[in-house]
Amino acid sequence: MCLAVPAKIIETDGQQAIVEIGGLRKQASIVLLPEAVTGDYVLLHAGFAISMIDKKEALETLLLFEELAPPGGRPGLSGPGPEDGDLGLKETPAADDE
Amino acid sequence: MTHDTETVQMAHGSGGRLGRELVESVFSSALANNILNRLDDAACLEVQGRLAFTIDGHVVSPLFFPGGDIGRLSVTGTVNDLAVMGATPLYIALGVVIEEGLPLHTLKLITESMRATAGEAKVEVVTGDTKVVERGAADGVFITTSGIGLIPEGVSPSGRGARPGDAVILSGTLGDHGVAILSCRQGLEFDSMLKSDCAPLNSLVREMLAASVRVHAMRDPTRGGLAAALNEIAAASGVAIEIEEETLPVKPSVRAACELFGLDPLLLANEGKLVAFVPEDDAGSVLAAMRSHPLGAEAAIIGRVVDPAAGAGFSGPFRVFARTVLGGLRIIRMPVGEQLPRIC
Amino acid sequence: MNNLPVLSYLDEFRASGPAGRLLDRLHRRPERPVRIMEVCGTHTMAISRHGIRQASPAWLRLISGPGCPVCVTSNYDIDSFIEMSLLPGVIAASFGDMLKVPGTRMGLGGARARGARVEIVYSTLDALRLARENPDCKVIFFGVGFETTAPTVAAAIAAARQSGASNFFVYSAHKLVPPALSALCRMPGLAVDAFLCPGHVSAIIGADPYRPLAERGIPCVISGFETVDILQSLNMILDQLDSGDCRVEVEYARGVRPGGNPAALEMMNSVFAPCDAGWRGLGTIPASGLTIREEFAAHDAARVFAVDASYSREPAGCICGAILTGQKIPPDCRRFARTCTPDHPVGPCMVSSEGTCAAYYQYEFQD
Ligand code: SF4
Repeated sequence: MCLAVPAKIIETDGQQAIVEIGGLRKQASIVLLPEAVTGDYVLLHAGFAISMIDKKEALETLLLFEELAPPGGRPGLSGPGPEDGDLGLKETPAADDE
Repeated sequence: MTHDTETVQMAHGSGGRLGRELVESVFSSALANNILNRLDDAACLEVQGRLAFTIDGHVVSPLFFPGGDIGRLSVTGTVNDLAVMGATPLYIALGVVIEEGLPLHTLKLITESMRATAGEAKVEVVTGDTKVVERGAADGVFITTSGIGLIPEGVSPSGRGARPGDAVILSGTLGDHGVAILSCRQGLEFDSMLKSDCAPLNSLVREMLAASVRVHAMRDPTRGGLAAALNEIAAASGVAIEIEEETLPVKPSVRAACELFGLDPLLLANEGKLVAFVPEDDAGSVLAAMRSHPLGAEAAIIGRVVDPAAGAGFSGPFRVFARTVLGGLRIIRMPVGEQLPRIC
Repeated sequence: MNNLPVLSYLDEFRASGPAGRLLDRLHRRPERPVRIMEVCGTHTMAISRHGIRQASPAWLRLISGPGCPVCVTSNYDIDSFIEMSLLPGVIAASFGDMLKVPGTRMGLGGARARGARVEIVYSTLDALRLARENPDCKVIFFGVGFETTAPTVAAAIAAARQSGASNFFVYSAHKLVPPALSALCRMPGLAVDAFLCPGHVSAIIGADPYRPLAERGIPCVISGFETVDILQSLNMILDQLDSGDCRVEVEYARGVRPGGNPAALEMMNSVFAPCDAGWRGLGTIPASGLTIREEFAAHDAARVFAVDASYSREPAGCICGAILTGQKIPPDCRRFARTCTPDHPVGPCMVSSEGTCAAYYQYEFQD
């Protein structure tokens, strides 16, 4: 029901932030997500960050899809990401956290 | 000299001295050519052969947007309508409705942009008319352009020409213009490097026709986007069209804007793109010709024309389909009304 | 050092390889009739647009629930807001979704044609900015949406009070999802085996509010919005049904914390209080809406502007109500695709791009 997109926080200034979505920058409010800091990925809804995106959970979900869907179809994770060309998911399993 | 030279006044539309001044200082000086310079009531043209003739009204808010302005748009719109008929655009007629109070400087910028675009497209503005309306009766300036072009021998693309088996070629990324305009709409502003694709396509079309004169149909997907263009061609040609959604070229920032505002790139306006229907045998050479032209560098085959009777299990009035990620088909309809940003 | 791969959290979830496999898994399951209701307009759209219904096994019925905020908004609320938009000196601000929805006499678009000043905004903060930029006007924002949107509206009201923007008002027609699902379950004759729960509502409210449903033996899976998310969630629901162990599970773990977003909930609860609300299709459900608290009454359009929308009626012959409760599907409506199309919508379900009728018409309908 509610459109929300993953956005990266580029800078914050009090309750305001600049976020980036696919190379596009927009003003957003982080008043509903005070813990958000620069570099975080958040879900953006109607100009507000409403939730943190959890990287480990995201990777686990992707790994689960891969497990349930072993290679054979079109490769799922080889497309270029927004910042680097190689997601390298298999080489760096989620367990190797920072 | 008591008149205010800074903005357009009602008196500029009076037909008197001020009117003459406006035409001379703004329009005929910038757009000068042998025919226009005569300032006759009509332009006398010598053209021989089959003519394409079109007209297009242009309103856009804001008047200046990333990558273009209403002046450029008013020339490319008409040039492109001629070009997709295979015609070489030659002459343009201009009708300008100006809202009282428009800064003269703004009008000059717009006219200058028309001059530059006409030069780029190698067309001449040969006749025109201006009217001034009261404040509030127009939004800055409205521009109508009409144009004629010459259709070369042996060339006959038309909206009715698509045939089963044709490859559907799109000249570049979808939605750049629509999103560029959106990015300056009040309340929706965002920053992106994105520019409108607004450009005259006649030189691209020339290259395409040089590669194959068997281009069956072309259209520039402006308002209503690719969805409207495909539906129009499919209906006029009596065929069905199947496109591969994953092959559609869309810039990341356009895709991001679509995610953000709940829009569909298939429905976004383009002002410098065309979609062509080419027999499969010629598709390779036409595509190569397009890709070697700057305006077609990202051209791609996005689908094919199929027999409507073989319409993949769909019946009824639907003619345009996209293959989904799951391998099924979904209907692409003729869009309805304006696409509005949505939240929920 | 961060040696995790860089993700966009979008593209990776759009790969087609896993989708096919997840679909295969659905097809390999034992055949038996199962009805799963999605309660999110974005899910409705995705299911239609990506051909998930078409590709799913025939025994699996995917039905739409009251998940489109525009669709469940009653004509009374729509008419009241339109009446307000026609008052002198008012700027009516709304999300784009609302503009084409027909009211009893006219829609917002119609009001605009009659001279009302209607502004489309992307965020409530843009509406608040309109109020600041137009101090001589009264800006009324149409607060529609579920728990995802309500905190953003609450934040704008709080900011308006703090900054003294006394010309900013909200007409609150917000709705809450869990009470509606409970009411649905109590409706006689309703056969829903499981809920595909809304990901972004749950990002705010978390997983707990669905627990009473699971306790009644109805599996609830909170799902993301990509094709793979939905297919995976359907498999998770069927796993639960197979094992007989009904729970609330989160497929959309990347965006949803089990406890939701406490700061957003606090903002919502500080500005709004629960109230009984009229839902199109479901009638009045206790404590299923949000009203502006006394403290913020000066920004409550319903209190400040007296309008009469007693003429309100639901459109004749429209079965939106039965569709929103999953009892009927759009082709069951005799107006569907005949006298009701997106160009000439009769009910809101045909207008909103997330409406069930619109989604069917747009992507799935065949003669
Ligand atoms: S098709 Fe139209 S009239 Fe019928 S239920 Fe849907 S919106 Fe209402």
